[in-house]
Amino acid sequence: MPKWGMVIDLNKCTGCGECVTACKVELNVPVVGPEESAKGRTILCMDILSTYEGEFPEVKMRHMPRPCFHCEHPPCTKVCPVRATYKNDEGIVAQIYPQCIGCRYCQVACPYTVKHFNWTKPEWPEERCEALNPDVSVRPEGVVEKCTFCVHRLQKAKEQAAVDGRDLREGDYVPACVESCPTKAMYFGDLDNPKHKVSQLKKSHRAFRLMEDLGTEPKVYYLSEVE
Amino acid sequence: MKIKQVILIGLLLPASLVFAYLNGRDGGSQPIAYNHNMHVQENDMECLDCHVYAEDGARASIPNVELCRDCHEEASTESEAEAALLSYVNDNRRIPWRQINVVPDYAYFSHRRHVKLGELDCVACHGEVGEMVKPVSEPFQEVTMDWCMDCHEARNVSNDCYACHR
Repeated sequence: MPKWGMVIDLNKCTGCGECVTACKVELNVPVVGPEESAKGRTILCMDILSTYEGEFPEVKMRHMPRPCFHCEHPPCTKVCPVRATYKNDEGIVAQIYPQCIGCRYCQVACPYTVKHFNWTKPEWPEERCEALNPDVSVRPEGVVEKCTFCVHRLQKAKEQAAVDGRDLREGDYVPACVESCPTKAMYFGDLDNPKHKVSQLKKSHRAFRLMEDLGTEPKVYYLSEVE
Repeated sequence: MKIKQVILIGLLLPASLVFAYLNGRDGGSQPIAYNHNMHVQENDMECLDCHVYAEDGARASIPNVELCRDCHEEASTESEAEAALLSYVNDNRRIPWRQINVVPDYAYFSHRRHVKLGELDCVACHGEVGEMVKPVSEPFQEVTMDWCMDCHEARNVSNDCYACHR
């Protein structure tokens, strides 16, 4: 059984935001508007954490794209009273929207704050309604959502591989953020398969995971910047 | 009281008869009184001849005038249903078929996965549609998660939520 994971090379990331946009479009993530946004209710299943170092004009910006880390020991799944969120056999931390009762325990439990609550009924500009991704359901008001590693792409890739009578190959299944990255800073694949690039990169001396001391064992690795 | 009942029955009975007649003529909830039996049994057609993507696509597709025109450019019978169809074909108007089998958007249902990979017969989910003389106006089987999961379990197919949910 594969263990899907991601490696993000911070040396290559320019913080352009393409992954954020691709995610927003791919997953039909609603735009909440300025009032809701001011209350901290913006939904970004992929976000970029930016830090500024130094003082003008010698400012150094650092960017860190942050999807759901699909932890090996996810704190969010342990608190869900209805098993709307759980870790499946392939290591993906699932969020099943029709099962979610909107208690937001998981949102509080997540140390990486990657879970978002739909406070309002999702709305888009009229032109955008025609362009929603039909492969992803539109979440109703009152449920928690998050990055799914674009699991709908996995469902399709598995089906295609079965029709072709072969196993899944590296690159058959990649999330929208990885696919869209213009500097190829993101890698995706099976962390347990030694042939996959991610399993080699995660052993790099530059590899680290966010807040590793928590013991959550995220399946998203970063490659630290080299000055 | 009795007179009221008689009047009520006197009004309702003809109304229901008229409704039943119209309903039978125009194919119930469908715009044309499509006869599956005529196509499948009497003319030896296969489901895939009209539902062309049922084997290779996620959605099976409901045929419309472009496809019907292949056989129905001119009247081949004297049936009212064919005359109704020809008016759509000749005017090049879309037939407003009502989709009967609907899967919720949060579930990934692919015909290819079931028909090609699972080798399921159409009748397993849709019933003996080929024997129906009236158009399909209600699903043979209501799509419920229990029903899906029972079949998955019986056939040793994954019942992980992410096998279908999205």
